[in-house]
Amino acid sequence: MTEMSSRLSGPASHTVTARSVWPKPINTLINALINFLTRPRRLAPLLACAWMILIAGFAFAPHWFTAYDPLEGDVLASLAAPDAEHFLGTDKLGRDVFARIVYGARFSLGVGLGAVAISVAFGVLLGLIAGQRQRVLDEGFSRLFDVVSAYPGVLLAMLLITFLGGSLVNVAIAVGIAGIPKFGRVVRAQTKAVQDADYVVQASIYGRSRFSAFLVHVVPNVLTVVPVVATISVGTAILTTSGLSFLGLGPQPPTPEWGLMLAESRDYLRTAWWTGVLPGIAITLTVIAFAVLGGSLQRHIEGRAP
Amino acid sequence: MTSTRAMITKRIAPRLLTGLLVAWGAVTAAFIGMHALPGRVEDILAGDMSWPGLREAIAQEWGLDQSVWSQYVGFIWRIAQGDFGTSYVMRQPVADVIGPQIWPTVHLALSAGILAVVLAVLAATLTAGRGRIARAAASLIELACVSAPVFWIGLLLLLAFSFTLRWFPVSGADGWRALVLPAVTLALPTAGLLAQVLREAMEKALVQPFVVTTRARGIGETLLRLRHVLRHAALPAVTLGGWLVGGLLGGAVITEKVFGRPGLGTVTLNAVLSQDAPVVLAVVMLAALIHVLASTALDVAYVFIDPRLKVQ
Amino acid sequence: MYARSNSTDRSGHHKLSEQLTARRLMLLAGIAGAGMSLLAAQPAAANETPRSGGTLTFGVTTEPVCFDPHRSVQQNSYIIIRNYVDSLVAKNADGRFLPWLAKSFQKSADGKTYDFILRDDVVFHDGEKFDAAAVKTNFDHARDAKNAVPAGELLQSIEQIEAVAPHHLRLHLQQPDTALLESIASVRLGLLSPKALQAGAQLCGGGPALAGTGPFRFAGYTRGQSVALERNAAYNWGPGYAKHNGPAYLEKATIRFLPEYSVRAGALSSGQIDVIEGVQPTDVGQFKDQPGFQFLTGPSGAQTAFTLNINNTIEPATDVRVRQALRDGADIEALVKSVYRGTVRRAWSNIGPDNPLYNKALEGSWGLNVAKANQLLDEAGWTGRDAQGYRTKDGKRLGIEVGYPQPFVRDSRDVLIQGVQAQLRKNLGFDLKLRIITGGEWGQQLREGTWTIYPNTYLPADPVRELEGNIGRTGFIRAVSDKGDKELFGHIESALRATTADDKLKHVHAAQKRAVDQAVIVPLFAASYQLAARDKVRGLSFEAQLDSPSNLYDVWVAP
Repeated sequence: MTEMSSRLSGPASHTVTARSVWPKPINTLINALINFLTRPRRLAPLLACAWMILIAGFAFAPHWFTAYDPLEGDVLASLAAPDAEHFLGTDKLGRDVFARIVYGARFSLGVGLGAVAISVAFGVLLGLIAGQRQRVLDEGFSRLFDVVSAYPGVLLAMLLITFLGGSLVNVAIAVGIAGIPKFGRVVRAQTKAVQDADYVVQASIYGRSRFSAFLVHVVPNVLTVVPVVATISVGTAILTTSGLSFLGLGPQPPTPEWGLMLAESRDYLRTAWWTGVLPGIAITLTVIAFAVLGGSLQRHIEGRAP
Repeated sequence: MTSTRAMITKRIAPRLLTGLLVAWGAVTAAFIGMHALPGRVEDILAGDMSWPGLREAIAQEWGLDQSVWSQYVGFIWRIAQGDFGTSYVMRQPVADVIGPQIWPTVHLALSAGILAVVLAVLAATLTAGRGRIARAAASLIELACVSAPVFWIGLLLLLAFSFTLRWFPVSGADGWRALVLPAVTLALPTAGLLAQVLREAMEKALVQPFVVTTRARGIGETLLRLRHVLRHAALPAVTLGGWLVGGLLGGAVITEKVFGRPGLGTVTLNAVLSQDAPVVLAVVMLAALIHVLASTALDVAYVFIDPRLKVQ
Repeated sequence: MYARSNSTDRSGHHKLSEQLTARRLMLLAGIAGAGMSLLAAQPAAANETPRSGGTLTFGVTTEPVCFDPHRSVQQNSYIIIRNYVDSLVAKNADGRFLPWLAKSFQKSADGKTYDFILRDDVVFHDGEKFDAAAVKTNFDHARDAKNAVPAGELLQSIEQIEAVAPHHLRLHLQQPDTALLESIASVRLGLLSPKALQAGAQLCGGGPALAGTGPFRFAGYTRGQSVALERNAAYNWGPGYAKHNGPAYLEKATIRFLPEYSVRAGALSSGQIDVIEGVQPTDVGQFKDQPGFQFLTGPSGAQTAFTLNINNTIEPATDVRVRQALRDGADIEALVKSVYRGTVRRAWSNIGPDNPLYNKALEGSWGLNVAKANQLLDEAGWTGRDAQGYRTKDGKRLGIEVGYPQPFVRDSRDVLIQGVQAQLRKNLGFDLKLRIITGGEWGQQLREGTWTIYPNTYLPADPVRELEGNIGRTGFIRAVSDKGDKELFGHIESALRATTADDKLKHVHAAQKRAVDQAVIVPLFAASYQLAARDKVRGLSFEAQLDSPSNLYDVWVAP
């Protein structure tokens, strides 16, 4: 981490520069973003961006993409194979599969983003506190992270959902809580590293109060590690949600959430493949896109981009 | 290893102690959670049925009529003595319920873990630093494995290799043939992630001076990669170890359900859904202990792989 | 009084005339059995001789949490349990009671004393002798509140159990109980070895310790995977409706737990297992009339139709117009046809259409009428509309939640409710929410009377009990029954107290009509059990008392 943070705080002058009203690390991040958006050199991030723009379109203006209602269908025409009318076919209740995928973007992205927002908010806060030179706080919060991550995989989310009840919001909360330690640990390590960095020590020598030095130098620097992890985590959260749906602990029908669609379609795998294969592809592509973007972002922040 | 003893006292013992603390915290949190759930155990056990005195009798039988606090103290006391109590729903000692389920899950997770490591090492050594197309293709496949829902992979594999080609049985836990599809299902996401991390680490290692000097000695490329570069790249991969243990165990819940295999996953899911607190708490306890042991083992493994850490 | 005799029966308890009656009854039972085979569309078996030996694998949906008949409250566990426990009496498809472990039985004139003459040649799997004392031990154990045995509810009317002679059991009742024989015939009061009962709680875990008298022994249980059953070679005491005497044909049977629809169907179609239950309606075409396979449908009479029970004490369901709109706002006929692909019938009452107490007059008396339903809602003041198109009144959306307990979700029933949900939304602007809840939450809602709509089928011993347990004063609404429908309660209670069959029928019909008219229930479909199997499997049938497949006693596998 020390290695990485010194690289972070170093100059990134090879990029287009933003106006330097921001603290230096944030500046670096913004530059990286601008650089990434204006001069992408690789195909993968470009494709990922294109997919993200498409599903963002689905999420914000689903009615532009389909004329069908995702909740209404003609039951008498259920499980119809793809044809001119329903080009991705219909599901068990005769609802248009494409319409459900389009409208589902809002729910799936919503769950993913919501969960990550919760993880980030609490993870960063607790991580910053744990990263202070207060042994008791550090131990306390570090052990708290340990306790949370002692529940393997979906077990914690499972327990939380039995407690909260299955709904879209509760799934986001459960998945979000399970993700707190991931951010907490990263932020804690980064805080510790940055606090000992020369320029922070110097700042306090030059008479800045500890708190103001913390705010100006430590916090922004620490936050640069968050976007990468967060981006990748959105995808992971969408995956976890689909797993919960499979276990019957996810969002409730008739929500057109992709994971739920996929879980519901498994009974028709042999007779109506289109009800499951397509939401599955939508999930997979979205998770890939988030991973590619996260990786790309990381390379740009680290200044390794071509 | 002159400092083995020092290592035990300085590194392992404190970690195990805090680990116990963590396990206690996890179990206590689960205890509070189970007790705060809506609905009483006696209602669940009685189902739709009711006759005078039934619910009271059930409550009394399980000590549910005592205060939460004394239930908690009793529970911790029993755990400390190695007694996990009796399942409310299955009416058998929790140890008898969970005990026989440990091996099937470990067997599956272990097979999947080994398969994942083999696949990842193969993919990484074959493609690291090679042509763009090979790397891009490998990356895409790995990403797809990481990004597809586990149960979906499992069902697609079943559809192809069991229902259609009939190479493997649909379900069950007898013989290696029944293990293939579940192990592959569980291994793929892990292998994908591991391969990516390994490749990146290997590519970093491949440009290091030691590689140039080793090459200069005329060593074959394959041997170089397997013997020298891979070892160098192992550290970041080992960092993932803790995550992998959790991921494999968590993924086992879903894989077992898809393939109808016995194991901890099925037991856990049923216990959570039926609010069978004694079983849930025992599973949490077990998971926490595994987590503690795994992370301690990793800590020790770092020291062996990277001797610089020993100085600290 | 029914009796049955066979070659091994050397008991002196009954006379020649009884034996003659018994033969005639056996004949009748045979005819009834044949009728059932027709219904079940089993391949013609007339000229085939059953083959002894062989094994069979049966793929089931649910792994029981408990294998003890007295303790299990899971409907899906009984088809497994029936293989290793027998009952005193057997219920035939036509509703009559036939001998089983009791070779004859008699009710006293005042209906308060029942005498059972037991077979004297029966042994439990663990070698214990079956006699009146063993039955008394079973029933007393179940009745004793301190044992907290759920099946005890079936014996609440009993005052005392007396072992008059080694093979003569007498039950003394507090008051007449028309459902007593139903209860005694129930798998839930199947008989276990007294020695096994002493092991108590451990019986839930199955295994050889769970010793009954059934045609199969419980050889082993692998949690999460399967149950192994082994033929009981000594067996010679099948139920009155059985098609043969002596031991079961199958040497071994494996019950495999396969919770996924597609996995079960895939395992059958790829020849890895022999029989499955819980066939996905869309998969039926793969087995029905297909070479190499058979598809069987059981009767739909013993259990209630799958019904939405509406709690009429909670707003907005307190308004009968809202309930009637809910009842008539969706095309249930089309939904059932679409979701189940014609494999089950739409229901008109919550009592199944094959049940003798079914009120046939209700057919066509209610159902799809969108114009009327909308008019009712307008009259009830739900005239506003919100952004999503739902009706509102005073700013509140017209909606009721269906809380479906997760342990009971099966058989595409949630899909059907989603279909109703979609139609009510489209036709009426009615928000029928569906939420899958835990068993615990349902327990709490039941205790507090806060549930809003509870979808269920119910398998009691007797239709009147069924009505009482569902929609009677002590039914789901019991916590708030003071605000319930008094007239409905009255009909059910009169039926419970009825002493003549006609009187009972009259009140049961009235109760069904009242429930549907007042729309406190919306019956959806008449559940019936379905099996798919390889065509080589013979002798599959359905047990009336369970409304599920019979045990594997008569089943054999053709070469």
